[in-house]
Parts: sequence; structure tokens; C-alpha cells
Amino acid sequence: MLPGKAAGCTGLATGVWPRPLRPRPLQSATPGRARPGGRTLAGAATPAVSGPEDSADISDKILSEPLKHSDFFNVKELFSVRSLFDARVHLGHKAGCRHRFMEPYIFGSRLGQDIIDLEQTAAHLQLALNFTAHVAYRKGIILFVSRNRQFSHLIETTARNCGEYAHTRYFKGGLLTNAPLLLGPMVCLPDLIIFLHTLNNVFEPHVAVRDAAKMHIPTVGIVDTNCNPCLITYPIPGNDDSPPSIHLFCRLFQTTINRAKQKRRQMEALYRLQGPEGLGAGVQGSAASPSLGA
Amino acid sequence: MARSRLETVGSVFSRTRDLIRAGVLNEKPLWFDIYNAFPPLREPVFRRPRLRYGKAKAAIQDILYPEDRIRAKFYSAYGSGQKAFDLFNPNFKSTCQQFVEKYIELQKLGETDEEKLFVETGKALLAAGVILRRVGEARTQKEGSHVSWESEPTGVKPQTVLEKNQPLQEVPQDQHLETSEEQPKGLSPP
Repeated sequence: MLPGKAAGCTGLATGVWPRPLRPRPLQSATPGRARPGGRTLAGAATPAVSGPEDSADISDKILSEPLKHSDFFNVKELFSVRSLFDARVHLGHKAGCRHRFMEPYIFGSRLGQDIIDLEQTAAHLQLALNFTAHVAYRKGIILFVSRNRQFSHLIETTARNCGEYAHTRYFKGGLLTNAPLLLGPMVCLPDLIIFLHTLNNVFEPHVAVRDAAKMHIPTVGIVDTNCNPCLITYPIPGNDDSPPSIHLFCRLFQTTINRAKQKRRQMEALYRLQGPEGLGAGVQGSAASPSLGA
Repeated sequence: MARSRLETVGSVFSRTRDLIRAGVLNEKPLWFDIYNAFPPLREPVFRRPRLRYGKAKAAIQDILYPEDRIRAKFYSAYGSGQKAFDLFNPNFKSTCQQFVEKYIELQKLGETDEEKLFVETGKALLAAGVILRRVGEARTQKEGSHVSWESEPTGVKPQTVLEKNQPLQEVPQDQHLETSEEQPKGLSPP
């Protein structure tokens, strides 16, 4: 299974993004090693059977620890309102193209062109990046979707650099809703879909938005002033037409996902090292872990 | 994995949560805990886009600045196109922007009469070397304006080229001089 391959799903027999079912929950590397558990007194002899219980504890710890911090992956430092402004994220379409549901996110209209409120964009972007980071931390499958031909190459390279998947070609009808038929029997659907352009080439909402909502897949999407943000779980109001804006968003997603995966490797290494010393010491170690990395 | 494909009913989260509660869905999906811990600002529930009828209008305000009045007067008097806008440079100041800044400076000094301020700003800018061509008089001043091109500090280049031209070709000298007057920028040394 090759991660990071861009999907041009039309007629591919091998099926690029279906990963074979992988064992969950996470199992430790050495289950048979005899380790004194955190609950026993130091020096007391312990049975070797405590291996699997330990690994389950550790995996729980690894998964639950990041949820306790509001910004475990420190995504706030990746962007600022000023950097969004310089990348022309605030520029929307003309007032006639405006979608009714985008009105709360629009700051005002300058000579007929809608200007998006960057304070709201910053808040939404922080939530969206945080969610993406957590999904990547838990080894979820992320799919980048866009139907804008100008940026399809950029999006495919971004996906390859993160080790995730992209679909920037024609989206066949039942790809998500009829996946076993189109892609093969044992298929894993993505755990998160990131839309860099919510509209397709005829300015209608992309089919994948509605299909992801049907298949209980959360979505993150950049919504411009002519898009419908209703069905997108974590919308990011912003410009999806200018190259600097899309380059910024691709860079942000790539950095977040890579950072989250690196953090996951660090946490696993940390808990594997701290296993013999007991899980009590792990609490002190995890308090220092947000300062690790990046 | 059991799913309910009703995207118009509730959000993804509410449907998954209820399926788990009912016992239909056995395994919690990957994103469930993350959504619980960090919910979005608005729950992603489907809404049908309805048209606005009658006189109902969107509550979006126009973005206008007090400098816009000055800009409107400038463009009605002088038209656009004196100097092209260089959008690659973030600190670029167009003729209009320089005019507005001068106007505000003079206004702070204490003057109140708008027309007087306008004329004063125009004079100040001409003194600083910026060209200001009025809209209505553009056609009558077409020939005269080419003379004004050469009197500018940037007109030094065509004059130096003229000097080069003169010693090299004496016979078509008059023709060269005439063509150089008409196209100061299009000159290229032989």
C-alpha cells in the first residue's frame, strides 16, 4: 500500500486510496516484554501477562492526551490575520455572486466586491487546522478534493508531501456512496475530506460535499462568497481563486499534517521509553511533550 | 459500518451520536472524540437556500472611507491613467493616493474651503513634479503636452540620445528630431 499517491480514480483497478483494513487499536511493539506496571510497588515481581494491558493503557493515553489541551499542535503560530491579508484571502466575488449563507462571514462590500471578515476566518481556520491535526495524529485517511484545474497539480503534490491522498479529477457518481462496487470489496473510506474548492467547474456544489455528509465523513473546506457552507463541518471562509491564497492554504495543511504525524511518532517513542518506569512518570513526561518538536 | 444517509436531517455528529446510543453503530469513528472536544462554531446542519422577496435586502454594509470623497473629486477632474498602478509593490502610492495625502495634510493645517484645498493640492503636486492632466482639456493640449514631456527631469534620456544622433547622421537630422519629439520613449540608439 503506497501512501501519498494522487488518485485519478477513473478506471483504476488497483484502487489507490483504499487502504487494507489495518489493526486497531494500536498495539505496542514488544508485547511479550515483562514490565512492572505503574500500579505495582517498585521491586515487586510482576507476571509477563501485563503486556497487552499496558499497551492498551498506553494507546489510550496517546489518544486521549492531545484532547486535553486546547491547541496541542500549536496551529495558531502558523498564520496570522496579517499573513491572511497579504495572501489576499479576504477578497471575495462581486456582490451579485454572493451566496445567502455566506453573509455572516462577510465584513462588507467595497465598490461591489465582497470582503471576507478575516477575524472570523482566523477563528475558523484555527479550528479546522486543529481538527485536521488531530485526525492525522490518529492516523486517519485524509483526502484533498478540488475541481479547479489551475491548482490541481499543486494539490496533488501537497498530498504527496504529507503522505495523504488527493482527488482532483472528475468525481464519479458513487465513489463514496457505492465504494465497494467502484473500488473493490475491502475499502476504507477517508476519515476527513479537505475541500480546497467547494464548487465544481459549472459553479455547482461538489458532489463529494453531499456524499461525505451522507457517509458520516467530516469535512473541512475553503468556502468563497459564492459557496454554500451549510454541509461542511469546519468551513473556512476565504478566497479560493487567487494563487497566493491557495498556496498559503496548501502550505498550512501540509505543515499541520506533517507536524501531527511527527508528534505521534514522538509520543509513541516517549511512551515506549517510559513503559518500564511506569505510567505515573508518563504524566510528567506528557506535560513536557507539547514543547517537543517543530 | 452502519450509516444513515440523511444529509438533510441533522449534522454528521448528531446522527453518529444517536446511532451509537441506539447500539446500531458498534465502533466509535476516529473523528468522534475530536469533534466532541473541539466542536465547530456552527453545527453543520442542512439549510435550504431561500430567495429573498420584496424589499428584503442583505445586511451587508458598503465599505467607504472619508478619503473617498477626495478621490471622487480627483477622478472627475483629472481622470485616470496618469501613472499605471504597480500592484506588485505593496508600498506603491498612485497619483491619486499622493493627492489624497497632500489634501489631508493641507486640511490639517486649518483650511476649510474645499475648492481652495483642491486647487492648492493640485499646485503642490505640480510643484513636486507629478503631472496632472485635466480631463476636458486633454485634446487641446495634445501637442503642447509633448513639449512638457521633454522639460521633465525624466526627459533627459531623449535629449542625450538626440545628441548621439546628431554627430552620426547629418542628412536625416531634421527627420530624427521630429520623430524623437513625437516618441520620446520609443527611441532606441542606432
